[in-house]
Amino acid sequence: MNKRCYAAFGIMTMLLIAAVYLNLISGSVSIAPDKVFAALFGKGADAMQSNVVTAIRLPRIAAAFILGGALALAGYMLQTFFDNPIVGPFVLGISSGAKLTVALSLIFFMARGNKPGSLFLVGSAFIGAIAAMALVLLLSIRVRSMGILVVCGIMIGYICSAITDLVVTFADDANIVNLHNWSMGSLSGMNMTDVGIMTVIIGICLMASVFLIKPIGAYRLGEAYAGSGGANIILLRIMLILISSLLAATVTAFAGPISFVGIAVPHLLRGMTKTSEPGVMIPGCFMLGALVTLVCDNLARTVFAPTEVSISSVTAVLLVPVVIAVMIKRRSRS
Amino acid sequence: MNDRVNKTEGRGLETRGLTIGYDSDIITDISLRVVPGKIVTLIGPNGSGKSTLLKTVTGQLKSRGGVILIDGRNRSSMSTKEIATKLSIVMTASVKPELMTCRQVVESGRYPYTGMFGKLSEKDHEKVDEAIEATQTEDIADRLFTNISDGQRQRVWLARALAQEPDVLVLDEPTSYLDIRYKTDILTKIRDLTRSRNIAVLMSIHEPETAMKLSDTVIAVSEGRVQRIGTPYEVFEEGFIRKLYLLGDMDTELIGSIPWYTREGIGAAGEYKPCGTKGVIMIQGTMSNVGKSMIAAGLCRIFLQDGYRVAPFKSQNMANNSYVTKDGLEMGRAQVMQAECCRVSPDVSMNPILLKPTDDTGSQVIVSGKPVGNMRAAEYFEYKKQLVPIIKDAFDRLKNDHDIVVIEGAGSSAEINLKDHDIVNMGLAGMVDSPVLLVGDIDRGGVFAQLLGTLDLLTDDERNRVCGLIVNKFRGDPKLLESGLNMLSERSGCPVTGVVPYMDIHLDDEDSLSRRFLSKTAKEFDIAVIKLPHIANFTDFDVFDQADDISVRYTDIPADIGDADIVVIPGTKNTTGDMKWLRDSGMAQAIRELAANDTVIIGICGGYQMLGERIDDPEGSEGGGSMEGLSLLPVKTIIENTKTRKLFEGICEEPTGILSELKGSPVRGYEIHMGKTECTKEAAPFTSDGTGYCIGNVYGTYVHGLFDTKEMAAGVVKAVAAGHKKSVRVSDITDQTDYKEKQYDALADVLRNSLDMPAIYKAMGF
Repeated sequence: MNKRCYAAFGIMTMLLIAAVYLNLISGSVSIAPDKVFAALFGKGADAMQSNVVTAIRLPRIAAAFILGGALALAGYMLQTFFDNPIVGPFVLGISSGAKLTVALSLIFFMARGNKPGSLFLVGSAFIGAIAAMALVLLLSIRVRSMGILVVCGIMIGYICSAITDLVVTFADDANIVNLHNWSMGSLSGMNMTDVGIMTVIIGICLMASVFLIKPIGAYRLGEAYAGSGGANIILLRIMLILISSLLAATVTAFAGPISFVGIAVPHLLRGMTKTSEPGVMIPGCFMLGALVTLVCDNLARTVFAPTEVSISSVTAVLLVPVVIAVMIKRRSRS
Repeated sequence: MNDRVNKTEGRGLETRGLTIGYDSDIITDISLRVVPGKIVTLIGPNGSGKSTLLKTVTGQLKSRGGVILIDGRNRSSMSTKEIATKLSIVMTASVKPELMTCRQVVESGRYPYTGMFGKLSEKDHEKVDEAIEATQTEDIADRLFTNISDGQRQRVWLARALAQEPDVLVLDEPTSYLDIRYKTDILTKIRDLTRSRNIAVLMSIHEPETAMKLSDTVIAVSEGRVQRIGTPYEVFEEGFIRKLYLLGDMDTELIGSIPWYTREGIGAAGEYKPCGTKGVIMIQGTMSNVGKSMIAAGLCRIFLQDGYRVAPFKSQNMANNSYVTKDGLEMGRAQVMQAECCRVSPDVSMNPILLKPTDDTGSQVIVSGKPVGNMRAAEYFEYKKQLVPIIKDAFDRLKNDHDIVVIEGAGSSAEINLKDHDIVNMGLAGMVDSPVLLVGDIDRGGVFAQLLGTLDLLTDDERNRVCGLIVNKFRGDPKLLESGLNMLSERSGCPVTGVVPYMDIHLDDEDSLSRRFLSKTAKEFDIAVIKLPHIANFTDFDVFDQADDISVRYTDIPADIGDADIVVIPGTKNTTGDMKWLRDSGMAQAIRELAANDTVIIGICGGYQMLGERIDDPEGSEGGGSMEGLSLLPVKTIIENTKTRKLFEGICEEPTGILSELKGSPVRGYEIHMGKTECTKEAAPFTSDGTGYCIGNVYGTYVHGLFDTKEMAAGVVKAVAAGHKKSVRVSDITDQTDYKEKQYDALADVLRNSLDMPAIYKAMGF
């Protein structure tokens, strides 16, 4: 770890604290900071304010933190897997695949008048994510070009989105607005139970990825060198696929597709730390992903308050320039 | 470092019958061996499968058949981690990991040694530093890998490979895309590190002229098979290279240096080319029987005395006198004797090819200890081309396990009619890159002409291999030779390494031309050995040379048997043929008469078969037909196609007649015969396990080396002498082994005194 890494982690920690603070005090209901903290520690005088803070803002912040981190980590793993800097769960259509299966199961259950549980949603999202991933993998065997792979992923994403839209259009249900919001990507409406479930799933993924630090480090040198060094390439590849799919699926199940966090954050982090050590990248991506998502969510809530824009709109506006910059830099270097 | 060097046995990379390819076979049946400290290069046209082979060997690609051995173990039975500690790779410059410093790239070589999270220990850091130092990449170690030049990157990859502490290093065209400076730099480093770290290196190379200079062994592949394996000198032959690369008759002037050796005279005439793989010396002669075996044996013992691990080698022996190793394989006796000088157990690697003459124009061909069939001379001449890899492989195995290999040539080195595809003399010297000592025999006269004439008939590069001349079998005062020797070295430009006196040292003989057959006069105690036309394995009686009172005479005239105390019918290569000869020459009659007079008759192996009633050869293994024997023993023999080859350890079970007191004496020897012999009537077992029977004073056994134990040799003489009322001193007779040891030391002493040993060591690269 170089000095830049320590500095980066220090700055990220401070910014995270700042972002959490900002997200706590800002919102459509204005609550003074001291009241917020009072509510947070259960000493709030106003029941309504306490409720806003503990039941709405706090779960939302936690979800933004966890899901944002998960997205960035998924992006990092996919970039490692494909050895391609411009892939992420959204670009490869994995999020869209998850979105499709979640939408289908939501509508199926809502038509019967009951709401499916979070775990069930995560499960169906995982199936969609894996299905989309499988399709991308099939394509990646046939096409070796980075660009074509990304185009294919986007196509798969569009097809999934189109089907989702179709389903939503003909669903004709009272909850359709809800579904529409979700399918655009939103962190609203989280509760502490959801947060608990996502913490467990993503926590497991994060721990598992820590054990991949060594092989990923070797994998940077390419399959041949990593393999000759003794890394179990097949196991690594399977783990990368499973973990990134599960991460992306979990995010999608709870918050719908959130674009560009997965693809841009690893690059931002490398830019900050000037290293590609997985020991730095894995925790770093998680932290930076959390930070970026917190900031974007804050903007989504506040810029046009009281109207809330979809978080993907914010992430797109903020992060697409990063992606473009990466592509230009690559092009000019090679 | 020391334990690394010593544990060379079985180290390196080997493939056996390997087939490679993606969806279909690209190259089939690849058998190659890469030993520590040597560079093996793969050459061949584009798309011939060089990279595919390397990918298969390194495990990036599954093999389609055959086995890959790493340090003697099957690759498929090893974990990736285990493999990683033994084998590392360097590929064509292409991978450019982002944001990694060169040091981090090198550190990745420690992968198999670090724990779960890849944290580097103190030792890991040391190894990394060492690798960086060895490749001189200190100055770029902390720079980003993407920010250095291609040539520097290859150095870093090399450092990474070294950090992995490999026994085997595989490089896929490591110098492609590099400019001439980095190309030179990388190749020099690879060569130096191969030697200094004793790594086995397998690499593919694009430019044939580089492979020609760099390699110890070259493997040429094209059209789905290995076309040639050998030293650069063997592989880079114009015709072959043109064919390999489909050059046709294209003019190659534009590519600069010609990628082949011109066969006539490498370099300017007289230019000295230091040659020699370290620790190899070859003894060649101006003709047969100049004493090559003996000088080789003596050198073996000298090197052994000087503390080296030594092994003898002779690619091809022609002799009836073979030996069976403990694995049941056949090899020439001369190398067995030399192996004894080296105090190593005889191994067929020391004599991979053995020809046993069956009649005047044909031989039984034995390869790696096993008979492959009978061949006429012309047939064999064609066949022997295929034997080159076997010879090379056998030699490499020996060289791998020993510090010094002493090679013996065969016949004369200047058989210019047999020069094509020579595998025994200069051809072999070239193949294994060995310096040569040329031996002439002064006893038979014309030694200066022998030596000068032989040198004159050699090509320039062959002549350059000759590092010294030896005058052998000199009787008298060496001072008288001096002026001749001076002129000799002046005329030939080759130093005289020594003048070896005529020695009366008894060693196992090489072939049937030996002095042994020169008739001798009978001494106090006389043993007559019937000199069969196809006599084989006749070292059985060497033990009696130890005693001054005993004579061993070989005879093929009945009248010459005289009053022999013991008559021996020895082994033969052709039992039925020699049985016929016995009868036709009147020898059979003579033997029967002697037996009737109670003379002791001993038949060994073929001789034992002849003592019986009948010999049937239904499959024609030894000439065919069916033949009456001497009918002195009630046994019957059926000659079969399968050969019995084994060591024997037993006793003298129930000897009859004059030898009855030998009952229970230990017998150690070996059996080598085709056919089974069964007792038809009542007869006493002579040697145990049904290997021999006796009646009265007639004894037969399959056991060669019957007399090798002191008990048997001295016992037989004592018993027979007592019976004949003679007194013979048998206390001289010791176990053959002790006796031989003394002889070998005596031989070494003589050679040490007469040869310029420092010059020989220098020629071997010590």
